[in-house]
Amino acid sequence: MPQLTINDDLVECRVGLTVLEAATRQGIVIPTLCHHADLSPVGSCRMCLVEVDSIDGQVAACTLQAEDGMRVRTESDAFAKSRRMVLQLLLRRYRRPDKLAAGENELERWARHYDVPILSSSNDELLGATRYPIDSDDNPFIRVDLNQCILCTRCVRACEEIQGRFVLGVGDRGEHSHIVAGAGTSMLDARCESCGACAAYCPTGALSDRMRVGQPEPDRSVVTTCSYCGVGCQFRLEVKQDQIVSVASHPEAAVNGMSLCVKGRYGWDYVHHRDRLLVPRVRSHVLDGRLRSAGEERSGWVDVDWDTALEVVARNLIRIKQEHSANAIGVLSSAKCTNEENYLIQKLARQVFGTHNVDHCARLCHSSTVAGLSMAVGSGAMSNSMRDIAEQSQALFVIGSNTTEQHPVFGAMLRQAVLRRNVPLVVADPRRIDLTEFATLHLRHRPGTDVALINGIMHVTLINKWHDVTFIDKRCEGFAELCASLEIYSPEYVAKITGVSALQIREAAEILATNRPMATIWAMGITQHTTGVMNVLALANLQMLLGNLGIPGGGVNPLRGQNNVQGACDMGALPNVFPGYQSVTDAAALQKFSEAWRCSNDAGVDLREISAGLTVTEMIEAAGQRGLRGLYILGEDPAMTEPDSNHARECLTNAEFVVLQEIFPSETARYCDVLLPGTSFAEKDGTFTNTERRVQLVRQAIPPMGDARPDWKIIAQLAQEMMRLENRTSVGPDAAWQYADTGEIMGEVARLTPIYAGVSHHRLIQGEQLQWPVRDERHEGTPILHVGEFTRGKGRFHAVDYLPPQEVPDSLFPLVMTTGRVLYHWHGGELTRRSTGLMSVYPETLLEIDASDAHRLGIGDGSMVRVSSRRGVMVAKAHLSARVFPGVVFGNFHFPAASNVNNVTIAALDPIAKIPEFKVCAVRVERC
Amino acid sequence: MPSTEKKSNSTPVLNNEMRDEIRKYFARYPTRQAVTLPALHVVNKYLRHVPLQAVVEIAELLELSPAQVQDTLSFYGFFPQQAPHGEVRAWVCRSISCALRGGEEVLAHMCAKAKIQPGETTANGKLTLEFGECLGACELAPCMLAGDQLVGHLTAESSEEFLASCGALGTS
Repeated sequence: MPQLTINDDLVECRVGLTVLEAATRQGIVIPTLCHHADLSPVGSCRMCLVEVDSIDGQVAACTLQAEDGMRVRTESDAFAKSRRMVLQLLLRRYRRPDKLAAGENELERWARHYDVPILSSSNDELLGATRYPIDSDDNPFIRVDLNQCILCTRCVRACEEIQGRFVLGVGDRGEHSHIVAGAGTSMLDARCESCGACAAYCPTGALSDRMRVGQPEPDRSVVTTCSYCGVGCQFRLEVKQDQIVSVASHPEAAVNGMSLCVKGRYGWDYVHHRDRLLVPRVRSHVLDGRLRSAGEERSGWVDVDWDTALEVVARNLIRIKQEHSANAIGVLSSAKCTNEENYLIQKLARQVFGTHNVDHCARLCHSSTVAGLSMAVGSGAMSNSMRDIAEQSQALFVIGSNTTEQHPVFGAMLRQAVLRRNVPLVVADPRRIDLTEFATLHLRHRPGTDVALINGIMHVTLINKWHDVTFIDKRCEGFAELCASLEIYSPEYVAKITGVSALQIREAAEILATNRPMATIWAMGITQHTTGVMNVLALANLQMLLGNLGIPGGGVNPLRGQNNVQGACDMGALPNVFPGYQSVTDAAALQKFSEAWRCSNDAGVDLREISAGLTVTEMIEAAGQRGLRGLYILGEDPAMTEPDSNHARECLTNAEFVVLQEIFPSETARYCDVLLPGTSFAEKDGTFTNTERRVQLVRQAIPPMGDARPDWKIIAQLAQEMMRLENRTSVGPDAAWQYADTGEIMGEVARLTPIYAGVSHHRLIQGEQLQWPVRDERHEGTPILHVGEFTRGKGRFHAVDYLPPQEVPDSLFPLVMTTGRVLYHWHGGELTRRSTGLMSVYPETLLEIDASDAHRLGIGDGSMVRVSSRRGVMVAKAHLSARVFPGVVFGNFHFPAASNVNNVTIAALDPIAKIPEFKVCAVRVERC
Repeated sequence: MPSTEKKSNSTPVLNNEMRDEIRKYFARYPTRQAVTLPALHVVNKYLRHVPLQAVVEIAELLELSPAQVQDTLSFYGFFPQQAPHGEVRAWVCRSISCALRGGEEVLAHMCAKAKIQPGETTANGKLTLEFGECLGACELAPCMLAGDQLVGHLTAESSEEFLASCGALGTS
């Protein structure tokens, strides 16, 4: 280890560190401007000049390797003089805006430190005319004022090295040098993803967050976890007088560091949107105590106080329980809500209502993953961590995941893996998604042919004897059956099914099998099929065949879609398991929960007497048929997100009594009888569990809007009201509903859930990073699953055969519709459609269609088109795109009513996981 | 418009000949990015300028972003972007030796005769006249570079002959 002297300190540091890094670790501050620890050093600003005994003159500390025996001096009068000169020169370019002054930036801080005056725009005679137009780019999120730019190029490097996007560069030379986007275009035209990294790294405010302009200085800053995707980014919510003024990077964030995506950084304004529900509402006929007959329209809303609302809900649910049964009530939980709230809602369903009818949107996204991986390896969760995949994998296989749009920060990490480490990347996707630009190979298979493709890759692997014999012998079972099943999947046979050439299948197999560890990453492209479970089993087969499990850089890695969909599953918001995947039919688990939640009387229900409950799709159907009488929905939007949504809406119309706990009057609100105003992530405490099983804190930054209440409080108050009305008192140790805060709820979760046994708010507040299973208070968590042994003991190979999708194109409906999301929107769109910036970039639904199909149908770019299937019609604007291939169109479900692709999707279900086949149905497209 | 997508709505300006000529350089360099300057020269040779659309197409060919190509291009003064330069492009040296020997006067004379300003192209598109910095031929001062041709000991007469030879004398 090199030892060097910096000023008077003896400093020891790792080989390969620079003098600047060695000094920083020692707490010695050397002034910098162009340098940032996350970015490659360029040594251009000359602020960090130091003297080294063995080197003549002054050298830049940011690019100088620390060497043994070096004697470094960082401060002297001469340095102060030269730094002052550097600042004076830079400040000649720099025009501080008079009005925008959003605090002191890095440049200004160093200017003050070295006592160099900053001229403002009013000193025009000294500065000359403005060189560049102020606010020169129309990006709705990032404000550009090159008059503040000192050409440190941090933005250029951030865009390249952090985001992997290469939007920015330095144009011209000498005194005319300036930052340019693309070939001198606007940032959006240069394919900017508006992640805001350039602004976050800018030391002068030349690039800044537009939403921050004109806002007051925040009076506090709260570190919390993002409410969008499952990556689990953390950031600071900056608050002034109970209003969020901005989201700022939190450099210490475990998952994302400074990185964020456009939704996380700029999509927060929905929190303050005027549509927020501020008081409870009840339909007038419900207040009158009148029952609505099936099909009868719902009456108008009446604003009520909380006591009235909770009593109405409690009395109606008790009535249903008494007149029908506990199983006539169903609960849809929410993957957007916290672990604590999900725990409480399933406790409400099981202990208070007395039913296992509780499920949530994981049914629609990864239920096939959970089922498939449980069968193969014993745990349905992502086996590895995003960081070990990005930093240690030797090959990447991304199948059915549009990672850069749906999990943008992890997508950027994958791009970094390719850029920095040259990791070969194989992308299998029917669409030419952005990530394919970084791929060594893009396998463009027909929608719904994943099993054939994966089997083909395994066939080639076996023939070439690339499989890991030792791993298979020692840790797996069922290998002989797998081999037998793969025999027919020759590359030529697979090519006929998938449309991918035999050569490409051989190439893919060679890349994936001969570079290890290889990480397999997937999302909805694999799961949302009638063969979803089989697709997942095939991927598990592949990873076991190659011995890529239980090691860093490998693994089976389903990317969870929502911020807390992993947690909602963990907390038992599923019809077949208690928290921690303890089966509801397991005698010991039943005993444990019945005891813990025992009350003075059972109010006519006994969990031991009922089997697993209904799934989301089954509950909606049952509510329509009135087998289910009461539906309690926590922050879900089935009117938007169910397949064949015309039918789903019909069911909701017929449903007898529907309660919705929400922050907005969502599409589903039309079909509800009681609306309870909950709170957004910014207004409550709790935890989210991200896709890699990391439990992270959500901290309250502002008080609830209006009379809205944190969702955990609403659930607890409803439970108390029902227990009171049913004359039940708590007996079991965890039967009561008195929680002082969400930390106490997590305490109860830990007591009852072995995989969360060591999780507590206290540990998280201390900064511990916990990925479940966390077995006790001293256990440090489990970043990688299946090390040494699979959760189920031996890994089980399953022979799976290709089956075509449920609905294939024919002469009436000749095109394949495949569905998904876009970068700028989020699921049913209730949040992102209420974000001004996001809407200005992507204001309406688009249908991606290949140019040759469009031409044949007389459709131009931007024409309005009618998309029909056997179930319904969608209207959208055509977007001619090379992303989809001929015969396939792509739609999203972010926009309501006629714009929603779920009007046409099919409710065909995977037989095991009951996940609908969102990814394939047959449609016809015509010009409107 | 989902702006994360590549746009392909402009008519391409690089023909197959140019593309092939650029591709021939791939084998000679360690990375595609290293082909940026040769590619710019190829395009400039054919089009006599490198418009923005060409930058986008070069970037695609070299698997770079347009910003990376534009960054390099705009560092040099050699590649016009707005309009093609003349059939002949001449740089008259104004560095010290040539300046002492009347280089600036020669350029002024040529501009007057060709009825253009330094940096401009004659109306008939035959000639672009520009300032040049030292051409490394001080023994020939005052001198100019016309295309690839070094012309020394310039006088009012010889410069007029040059203008006449490229059809740029008295045009307007």
